[in-house]
Amino acid sequence: MDILRREVAKRVFAYELSRSTHETSEGGERAPKYVLTPTGEKCNRIFMVGVLLEKEEVSPDSNFWRIRVSDPTGVVSGFVGRYQPEALEALLEIEPPEIVSIVAKLNMFQGETRRFLSIRPEAINISDRKNRDFWVIETAKRTLERIKKLEEDADDAKLALEIYNPDVGEYLEMVKRAVEAVREEAEAFRKEEGEVIKEDKEKEAEKIESKVEEIEEVGKIKAEPKTDAEELTLESFEVDDLDEFEFEEEEWDLSDILDEE
Amino acid sequence: MSDGMGDEKISILTERVLSRFKGREIDPKEVSKRLKLLIYEFKVPEEEAVRTVTNYLMKEFDITREEVAESPIRTISEITRAGEWVSVKAKVMQLWDAESPNLSQVGLAGDPTGIIKFVIWAKSRKPEVKEGKSYLFKNVVTDSFRGRMQINVNRNSDIIELDEDISLPPREIELIGALVAIQQNSGFIQRCSLCNRVLKKGVCAVHGKVEGYDDLRIKGVIDDGANYYEVILNQENIKALTGIGIEEAREIASEKLDREFVLAELKKRLLGYYFKIYGSKGSRYFLVRDIEFLSADIVSEANTILSEIDGLVKTAREETAEEGI
Repeated sequence: MDILRREVAKRVFAYELSRSTHETSEGGERAPKYVLTPTGEKCNRIFMVGVLLEKEEVSPDSNFWRIRVSDPTGVVSGFVGRYQPEALEALLEIEPPEIVSIVAKLNMFQGETRRFLSIRPEAINISDRKNRDFWVIETAKRTLERIKKLEEDADDAKLALEIYNPDVGEYLEMVKRAVEAVREEAEAFRKEEGEVIKEDKEKEAEKIESKVEEIEEVGKIKAEPKTDAEELTLESFEVDDLDEFEFEEEEWDLSDILDEE
Repeated sequence: MSDGMGDEKISILTERVLSRFKGREIDPKEVSKRLKLLIYEFKVPEEEAVRTVTNYLMKEFDITREEVAESPIRTISEITRAGEWVSVKAKVMQLWDAESPNLSQVGLAGDPTGIIKFVIWAKSRKPEVKEGKSYLFKNVVTDSFRGRMQINVNRNSDIIELDEDISLPPREIELIGALVAIQQNSGFIQRCSLCNRVLKKGVCAVHGKVEGYDDLRIKGVIDDGANYYEVILNQENIKALTGIGIEEAREIASEKLDREFVLAELKKRLLGYYFKIYGSKGSRYFLVRDIEFLSADIVSEANTILSEIDGLVKTAREETAEEGI
């Protein structure tokens, strides 16, 4: 009884997804299908945090909804129906436009002129700006990794080069656009937050000063004003090393005893 | 076949058999002779031969298994062969829901050298072990299951709680990823008060319809775009992240007249968000010690990426220029 390995949710920008036309499969009819993107990501499932622009019921009372979701690079569309009850239930409660996180499978459709991709969400949830920003950063990193791999001889990269012959400059530009967009916004927010911190700091410094004066008056300690106010400025954010979570192969597989579902 | 190699093997096995009968006068030659006969003449597997000779000696000298000297203490990393009687000092790291009624408890135990699965058979009639406590698992049998070593606690074993705290291997890592799925049996659950298994519609897989007690947990999947990790968040984790603890869950459930509502609420607050998690990698599950919502410095991350892109664009331009020449 082998456990089915779960498909990793890949990070691909909408611009790249909407330019994907090639579908591959490993093995038989029932084997999972993968969409190959222009920079060589093979995805069966994606995770994105973007803006739900529209939701529209395909026909009245069909409970089948068409959605459009955007990130800083472009738009993808998708469908949510009764076979995705969790996503459907969540979608009904969300009024666009709204920042949402989406876990979705991918479908490839044959249009009149070309094949196009649509997403089939398994889960949708209202999200926030911070989460969206980090998704853009993470997706940018993953995309750059793939672009660099295009030069190497990896299978997926080779196939992507054969099928799409991607213009690397175009995809670098896409990543740049997305990252610049969130940087601008984050800077604006940091400024605001910074001002709040500054105010707090000033208040804190005043407090400490008055405390010190008190103490000095009592003549017990000759203290220097420090600590709290300083610590506030030192409290810089940690930069997280994404490489850290690549670790060795599964050492264990005791899943059989664990299966609860 | 009695070459040097064979003799050496026999003498090692003889010592192993004798190590369990310390303080008794047993002729090593007799043991070796029986082992040789079984292994070389009758082609019995080594472990079975050892067991057979041991059983013979117990019968012959009228010794019960409990009386036999205890098995050697081994560290987890030293457990590499199946079918050995050993004793292990280890800390119970995680208990799993044992689905089979033949099993009393199943989980992971660790010492500084490694982590191993332990199986306590229901027939062994041992008191239950608790997560986070350290024990001497005395006279347990090593086994290999699907290529992994495990220890089996049987009727002849003993589980003795230790006062000391056995430390675990230092392999805690930090993990950043999005919670992409919350699986079934999550939320405001009920557990069997007899065995702690999660009840399904008030029914325990082993004890049938029982009184349950409330608990909060999330079985979820953390995904970083390259790998995924299955995690279990306990009551404390959930309370720290969402402010919803058992009390709050009860309130929500009674207000909405539906326990499932708690899960819906937890999903709203957690699903699709990025987390930073500290913990260690277990067998199937990533063992969470601490979890928090991710807070990243977007501006500096963005600047790093943008300078990398500038570098890549420059290289691409130079390459094109060269091609032009």
